[in-house]
Amino acid sequence: MNEIEEKLWNYIDGTCTQAEQEAIARLIANDELYAKKYQELLALNQEFALMELDEPPMAFTFNVMEAIRTENALQPLKAAIDKRIIKGIAIFFTVTIVALLVMAFSSIDISGIKFDVTLPANIKLPNAGGILSSAFMKWFLIFDVVLALFLTDAYLRRRKTTKQV
Amino acid sequence: MQSKLSDIELIQQTLAGNQSAYADLVKRHQRFVFTLALRFAKGREDAEEIAQDCFVKAYRSLSSFQGQSKFSTWLYSIVYTTAMTFLRKKRIATDSIDDEHTFIQVEHHESGYDTDNLENKSRSFYLNQAIEQLLPDDATIITLFYKGEQSLEEIAQTLGIEANTVKVKLFRARQRLKEKLERNLKQEVKELI
Repeated sequence: MNEIEEKLWNYIDGTCTQAEQEAIARLIANDELYAKKYQELLALNQEFALMELDEPPMAFTFNVMEAIRTENALQPLKAAIDKRIIKGIAIFFTVTIVALLVMAFSSIDISGIKFDVTLPANIKLPNAGGILSSAFMKWFLIFDVVLALFLTDAYLRRRKTTKQV
Repeated sequence: MQSKLSDIELIQQTLAGNQSAYADLVKRHQRFVFTLALRFAKGREDAEEIAQDCFVKAYRSLSSFQGQSKFSTWLYSIVYTTAMTFLRKKRIATDSIDDEHTFIQVEHHESGYDTDNLENKSRSFYLNQAIEQLLPDDATIITLFYKGEQSLEEIAQTLGIEANTVKVKLFRARQRLKEKLERNLKQEVKELI
């Protein structure tokens, strides 16, 4: 019986294929059991459609809008302030500080100051040019580049995995 | 009077800062949202709280609504999630609801007779009474299908399940509703005799 009802509900809802639809229509026309059940389910379907929606209280919309207004009012200042204003203030202060530093440095007269540093005789500075052109430095740089590539790859893989999750 | 604008137009106006457009959206969907909430809460106060919470949540994430589905489908999925959270909070496990139903059922039934206004009891009254006695999931599927103007695919989207599962669940829900309806009507006849 359940199978018959399932077929008939699918027929009433129009959720079966064209072939199934035709087959069920034939069964309804020829089989008394199908015909009786179909009429019963059809009546039930019409009755279900008569279901009434419940009415919320009169002040429902007002209450929702009040809740939204209250939430907006309670929003923290950090979230309420436009980010462009914060950026503007940051730019203003940065420009002011840079301008002040430029003015301060330009007004200092360093022509009279002499830097005369003499190292003791027993201290010898290494030959910087020699170090930079040495084979050791080349291998060091190659190692750095490989390490940087490895770390970047690991970081990007981690980010991709996090995004997928 | 409710706005003649479409849901999408009202959403656009709301996002542009027009709050009264959102009030129109609320007015348009409040009956259905409230009814759906009532399927879970079984009490008007709780249902009102759930429904209100849904509209506030929907307002908060309105900008994330991309219009790929109907606004109602999106809204009903919020109702479903909120109502499920509500049920969890209230520690009403879906499996144990059946036991509580017996109590709710008797309570509703008796209160019906207390009003003693049998003439006003129409078929739709019995139908709503039977729906109240169903499990929340069954009642929700029936309500979404018959009153939410939702297709099986849309209901599946709302509930986060497969369309075929909805089809099976809808069939079972109808069976249970039919049984409850018949039982209630039989009891009513007995009472009258």
